[in-house]
Amino acid sequence: MRNVRITRWYLHLLLFAFPLWLGAINISFADKVSLDSSNWGLEEGEACISCHKKSSAGLTHQWQSSAHASAGVNCLDCHYADQVDKDAIEHEGSIIATIVSPKDCGHCHTREYKETEGSVHSKALSLIKNRIPALADNLTGQEMVTAGCAKCHGSKVEVRGDGSLSPDSWPNTGIGRINPDGSRGSCSACHGRHSFSKAQARDPSACAWCHSGPESPDKGVFDSSKHGMLFAANREKMNLHSDEWVLGKDYSAAPTCVTCHMGATPGVAASHDVGMRDAWNLNQPISEKQSLIIFEDGDRRELPESQPIPRRGNEISKLDGSMGKIKAVASSKRRRQIMSKVCLECHSKGFANGFMKQFDNVVELYNEKFGKPAQAIMLALYDMNLLTPAPFDDPLEFTYWRLWHDEGTRARHGAAMMSPNFTWWEGMHLVGQNFYGEFLPQVRELAGAEKADKLINEHVLSLDEHSWLKNPSKPNPILGYGIGKPSHD
Amino acid sequence: MIKIRMPLFITRHVLLALILGGVAGIGFMVFLTEFDHFTSTEAFCTNCHSMELVAEPYRESAHFRPASGVRASCGDCHVSEGVFAATWDHFIGGKDLYNQIFGPDYDDPVIAKLHMPEAAFSAREWFKKRNSATCKRCHVKEAIFGTRPDTVEIHKQDAKDKSCIECHYNLVHAKVPAESVFKRDEWNRMVEQEFGLKRGAADKLLEK
Repeated sequence: MRNVRITRWYLHLLLFAFPLWLGAINISFADKVSLDSSNWGLEEGEACISCHKKSSAGLTHQWQSSAHASAGVNCLDCHYADQVDKDAIEHEGSIIATIVSPKDCGHCHTREYKETEGSVHSKALSLIKNRIPALADNLTGQEMVTAGCAKCHGSKVEVRGDGSLSPDSWPNTGIGRINPDGSRGSCSACHGRHSFSKAQARDPSACAWCHSGPESPDKGVFDSSKHGMLFAANREKMNLHSDEWVLGKDYSAAPTCVTCHMGATPGVAASHDVGMRDAWNLNQPISEKQSLIIFEDGDRRELPESQPIPRRGNEISKLDGSMGKIKAVASSKRRRQIMSKVCLECHSKGFANGFMKQFDNVVELYNEKFGKPAQAIMLALYDMNLLTPAPFDDPLEFTYWRLWHDEGTRARHGAAMMSPNFTWWEGMHLVGQNFYGEFLPQVRELAGAEKADKLINEHVLSLDEHSWLKNPSKPNPILGYGIGKPSHD
Repeated sequence: MIKIRMPLFITRHVLLALILGGVAGIGFMVFLTEFDHFTSTEAFCTNCHSMELVAEPYRESAHFRPASGVRASCGDCHVSEGVFAATWDHFIGGKDLYNQIFGPDYDDPVIAKLHMPEAAFSAREWFKKRNSATCKRCHVKEAIFGTRPDTVEIHKQDAKDKSCIECHYNLVHAKVPAESVFKRDEWNRMVEQEFGLKRGAADKLLEK
């Protein structure tokens, strides 16, 4: 009995303390810097400007028209380095660093730094660690890690003994960059230097430079959604330059990526932990709902809900491999609630819930009808040694990769943000075509009729969703059958 | 005919000594000038294999291969103008010869690279003390037009009280960080990587 009570008490705490905790944080979009202005405006830094106005007028001009310049923050305030810093260089008499890391920005923008440092975004590099050997070493080449993967996921910036930054790792503004000072992330991933404009970061293009293409097709999805349509038509009404940017208060013409994924709404605090409100993982062969584990030191990780949900005070591994003590767990339900609260600024509860239901249905359809059967067949083929352990040395492996990674991801992201085109034509329509037209025939070709039939019977034909395959005489005129005949039922 | 009356103390012997001394003096000056010239050439400097290692990056640099064809040789930058100053520089430079013979094996590319930073620091200091005098043999600040319009302004205004070396280093030889931010450990690791040595091997080589 006592145990039950404790569990209840704990649940209540989770349900109520979490929003309180969120609400306690200032609701405006970006925290006003609370440091006194005596903390910046290094006199030595004024000398940089005179020369850089001439030597690199473009970046100087960007800075001159920035909020930093009007507040008196100069070059050296951000680029200042200590002699002992790994990447410190001597530059015209000053000791500086080229890279301004999130830790440097965090001197003034403390809250934003802590949120991004803890976020899953900042671990974007370690998240793809296992994929790099297959995609870069085998499929393409190491050059692609620098020019492709790391551009979004971030590089581990290498400072060479002669003080230069290795061109294999720099320039780079990937959001999971590992900086010479050990901090993770890159503010300039979203906030283009040297203007660091609010308006620019609030524009969907700030996200689109990475969130486009098959793995994260969100640019196309947003552009072809109702939200994107409204944004494009009402851009000038978006109040993008406003100091505070609370939905329903400072703007209402359209939502952007920021609005739903990190923006402030009455009752919902803004956060630079951009993935915080995502209930699903949409980038795996099979989607799972996921809890957000918040560690005592502010670090965070996702945990699929198929795994037992750990309790506050427990220790589990962090994304960097070390162990961390859990401070709070936000369930997928809780995360969905926060996201839905944003919807309510413009939509009714029924509308928002209805949409979420449609979204969940697509993900579950993908999972059950295609994701799970395809994965089960692939695993069986590996077990039966019909496929080698090496990825991508059989055409079937490309077909499977495309099925969940390209087409399946487009369908799921499309449903998450209401792009009918991505959900259907670019997504599930291709998933179906691939599954029936390429994947299954290739399985038959690889495994031979007998073994393939066994696998397909077990994992595909046993499911109601695929029962139409057993009924080949049921006609449909879509491809011309029966056209001109009196009737086809 | 004008008769020059010699002072009485100019005896024949004295006259002979003066003439001989004068000729010898001229000869000595000519010798010094020629010696300085000869010892300032790339051919002379690279007699030592260790200097060949330093010369390699130089031969890729704009000072060896300028569009104009005005090539700067070792001594043009590293030996002062004027016969006495040049001789003095060569005299001081003699310590390099001493080290070449009795010091570490600079002919080994690894040893050379490990010791290079200290050489770079002292060379930079040398330039700084002389207000980059040897650069100014060829370069006139007011005449640096560059290829971009603001180059002139930068040199007129921002570099007004500076001498060349304060901004322009790492132009010719292998890149070495400024002494103020130099990190020996990182340098050693880089050398180990470059030459495929085990971690820590560089430190051991330096202890020898």
